[in-house]
Amino acid sequence: MKVKSSLSVRQVPLKVRMWNARYLYLLLLVPLVWYVIFQYIPMAGIGMAFEKYRFNKGLFGSPWVGLKHFERLFNTPQFLTALKNTLVISLTRLVVEFPVPVILAVMLTEMRFTRTAKIYQTVLTLPHFLTWIILAAIFGNLLNSDGVINTMIMNLGGQRVKFFTDGGIYRAFLYLSSIWKGAGWSAIMYMAVITGIDPALYEAATLDGASRMQRILYVTLPHLKEIFVVMLVLKIGTLMNGDFEQIFTTYNASVYNVADTIDTYVYRITFEKTPDYSFSTAVGLFKSVVNFILLFGSDRLAKRISGSGLFGGSEQ
Amino acid sequence: MKKKELKAKENQKIEKTDIILLVILSIWCLIIIFPFYEAVMASLVDGTAFARNPLIIIPDKVIFDNYQVIFDFTNLLSGYKNTLIVVLLGVPIQLLMTVATGYVFSQEFPGKKWLFKLMIFTMFFSGGVIPKYILMRNLGLMNSYWPTILVAAVSTYYMIIIKGSFESMPPALKEAAVIDGATDIQVLFKIYLPLQMPMLATFTLFFTVDLWNSWYWPMITMSEPKLQVLPVILRQVCNTAQNVSEYGDASITESFGTGIKMAATVLTMLPIMCFYPFLQKYFVKGVMVGSIKM
Repeated sequence: MKVKSSLSVRQVPLKVRMWNARYLYLLLLVPLVWYVIFQYIPMAGIGMAFEKYRFNKGLFGSPWVGLKHFERLFNTPQFLTALKNTLVISLTRLVVEFPVPVILAVMLTEMRFTRTAKIYQTVLTLPHFLTWIILAAIFGNLLNSDGVINTMIMNLGGQRVKFFTDGGIYRAFLYLSSIWKGAGWSAIMYMAVITGIDPALYEAATLDGASRMQRILYVTLPHLKEIFVVMLVLKIGTLMNGDFEQIFTTYNASVYNVADTIDTYVYRITFEKTPDYSFSTAVGLFKSVVNFILLFGSDRLAKRISGSGLFGGSEQ
Repeated sequence: MKKKELKAKENQKIEKTDIILLVILSIWCLIIIFPFYEAVMASLVDGTAFARNPLIIIPDKVIFDNYQVIFDFTNLLSGYKNTLIVVLLGVPIQLLMTVATGYVFSQEFPGKKWLFKLMIFTMFFSGGVIPKYILMRNLGLMNSYWPTILVAAVSTYYMIIIKGSFESMPPALKEAAVIDGATDIQVLFKIYLPLQMPMLATFTLFFTVDLWNSWYWPMITMSEPKLQVLPVILRQVCNTAQNVSEYGDASITESFGTGIKMAATVLTMLPIMCFYPFLQKYFVKGVMVGSIKM
């Protein structure tokens, strides 16, 4: 039936079909204008990265400098540090943070006290809805040199821990606080898939003598593979981001060497000093291009390895 | 099916594993709650008591002086007002634009494929912050609420989810209305949307939280103090003091005590903390819809 209707659509002349869709075009008009102005015009603004941009001359009047900003980029030690940090932090996140929601989802769905599980789910997802500005403040109260945790340590006869000024500890703080904030929310996606699994599969496994752990390993986890790969591909596509909000609200000059990422670096050179918009745009462009390549590269790879990826696994 | 499964689970007998799970998840939840609890406690005691012992389980004496300071000496209240304006102005715009776009792409029309690609592309590649910032400047929108609202006026990601929901509507519904002479605009607002109220509620919540929490664009485009939004003001209140205690920065002389900072924090997160437990199921629904559509 579907084939038939699509055939009949083909036979109607284009003009008629467009006229029939006139109200659809009308509905799309404002959003389309928005996409052009607020997405595509800024994309054209990328041209600034190859110019010596002057506000009074605009995008078309400013002198062209070619790849000068990119050459400067790779000769700027702060940028190279930021690039290294971004990659190290993002890759560690991928290893340390990314699997946690899967484990949490399995634990929550395995829990037999279902009422408690519901309440816990509310608690676990709550931090996702608070901005890092709020969380930075409450973690400050907890982890400052004279904060709650340090007082506890001192009372127990230990030494103060410099959570925000010791590079290594600060990095650990980034990963753990990010799990603290996001794991519960990310788990929902996996829980949705788990609750959709046919209970008959579990029953069959039980009849075959599978233990609880075996049911998780051989029934639950294989069902999560597809969504896991999709999430992974999306995550790899943001490898150059490193979570700006978290780092920006919690870092400080003493941990720049381990925590300054591309985004925080761009912010500082643009909004805290005399701005060089062209240079900042060049940094941003470099980041976008790498992210774009990573996203499509990992998508290809995922499709080749597991047959599933972004944009629908069935697409040929 | 889901209900039955849950029931079956409860009827099974409790094993050792269940107790271990309960303990792990209980500790996990306590770790989530603890920082919030300590923030509230710190805001309710006076500075000297806090300095003596910041780890407060139950305060000896509850005072509200810290909140008084916030109301008297900071512009947090005007921050509330500005955030509310951004939300009340922004949410209807974002909702209307995103829903309309989602509806259009759930229908068939010439040019659909490449127009859709044009919009999807922006999810994966963007001009970045600086060109958008300069655009806002050139449009003369600095020191107004508009950059904050306009920068995310259509959410491509949510649009795709909404498109999916509309695609799952039975086609007979629209066909019958079209025969009766309804236009696409009428189909959307009179037939589709009333049937998709739960989805609409979910996305209203998502947009509200996103705008309530937004601070990056307000921070870089609204430098005027009387226009600043809640999170930006909270950051100012908190940052001065943190810098002093951590690095002994001599350039900042005046600072707020921890109790006052925590009072500001509590006031900022209060609305979400109060509403979230009741609205949680709608948020979860949004993710469920999204994950199935993917």
